Amino acid sequence: MTTHFVMTLALGLAMLAATVQAQLVEKKALTLEGAKQIAATAEAKAKAEGARVVIAVVDEGGSLLLLQRLDDTQVASVNVGIDKARTAAIFRRPSKVFEDQVRNGRVAALALHGAVPLQGGVPIVVEGKVLGAIGVSGETPSQDEDIAMAGAAVAASFTK
Amino acid sequence: MRYLVRMLAGITMVLSASSSSAESVSDKRGLTLEGAKKVIAATVAEATRVNAPGGSIAVVDEGGNLLALERLDQTFAASANIAIGKARTSALFKKPTKTFEDAIKNGRTSMVTLGGDLQNFTPLQGGIPLEWEGKVVGAIGVSGAASAQQDEELAIVGAKSLDSMEMVWVTNGHAPLPVTYIESQKVAASFAKGGVLVGDDENMMHASRNYMVHASHREKAGAVEIHEFDTDIVYVLKGSATLITGGTPVGTKTIAPHEFRAPNVNGGETRKLVPGDVVIIPNGVPHWFKEVDAPFDYYVVKVR
Repeated sequence: MTTHFVMTLALGLAMLAATVQAQLVEKKALTLEGAKQIAATAEAKAKAEGARVVIAVVDEGGSLLLLQRLDDTQVASVNVGIDKARTAAIFRRPSKVFEDQVRNGRVAALALHGAVPLQGGVPIVVEGKVLGAIGVSGETPSQDEDIAMAGAAVAASFTK
Repeated sequence: MRYLVRMLAGITMVLSASSSSAESVSDKRGLTLEGAKKVIAATVAEATRVNAPGGSIAVVDEGGNLLALERLDQTFAASANIAIGKARTSALFKKPTKTFEDAIKNGRTSMVTLGGDLQNFTPLQGGIPLEWEGKVVGAIGVSGAASAQQDEELAIVGAKSLDSMEMVWVTNGHAPLPVTYIESQKVAASFAKGGVLVGDDENMMHASRNYMVHASHREKAGAVEIHEFDTDIVYVLKGSATLITGGTPVGTKTIAPHEFRAPNVNGGETRKLVPGDVVIIPNGVPHWFKEVDAPFDYYVVKVR
């Protein structure tokens, strides 16, 4: 009986301690400076290819941190670029995944909240965590994505 | 009398039609991305100077479409869209957005319904038109600073930065580059092997200029070339060649973005090129130096 009580108490305390520890987590967040470095690399690639694109960088929550519309880019790409970036950020995967799903017959993917199933959004990953995403729009889907990937790749060098 | 009126109306219509056809297209200035970045940089500098707690800064073009945005660290996420809305509203009405906030506050409540037709109508202080030589070329919107008042103060500083900006940042063209001088020895050396005189850098086309200059040299026939964007202006200096233009390329491959090559072409026009000849090959037209009497040297300006 006593043993049982002690055991229960110990278990309870252990659970309490675990709960206390889990009240807050440390997270890394992408800064504006980091977003600028990512966008600058994407911009350089776009210019080298003569690509006219919008480059959008969003944070982990999918909210816009930085946007650049290169000269002579179609204005409709502003929203498409932001949408692609948000999709990649909040679903933590390239937006191409959803485009592929739809193309391969999973039409229901069109109903996902907050996602645009269009190739060109790529997550920004630092030490295995998605801290945001970059979305590119304006040229072909694969060129958009290549430019986004070039930008996102910069994050590999980010450490706090 | 009625006839006279009709006749006069007819004359007026003809006159107005002719004058409007003379002005069916007008020149205007637009902000470049570089210009937008400079406006944002000036605004961020001011935000730092006054120790603003944060800020999202949006710059839109004359049509209210976003050109560039930066959200400073720790600024609340919703501020990005509010900044865009302020800038857009300011650009589309060519007025500071405070005008609308004041009008609504002073009793013209019905003005809030403007949002029905205008996407992202934001009648909140903090949007300021960007003007160049008295014309609105865009607008800046700030949100997320200490107050609506500070939002606007920052936006005003950003807008003012346009005054000291060189005109190049507000044209649709590019920044003026330094004069390029290439001395004859270097030019001769380029022709000896064939090379690029101007344009062989990362930004070769889009960013800084819309042309390249090649000192081309051929020892033998080349492939069929198709440049999606580049028009070649060729001036033959030495040797001769048989040039085929047009036709249908066979076995086309993409070798670089917007650049295609093919081993052969069906049809097309044949010309014999000799020194002194000039040929202009518009973008998209296949062209092939099929036979070459080496050395064949030609000066090419590639215009994009």
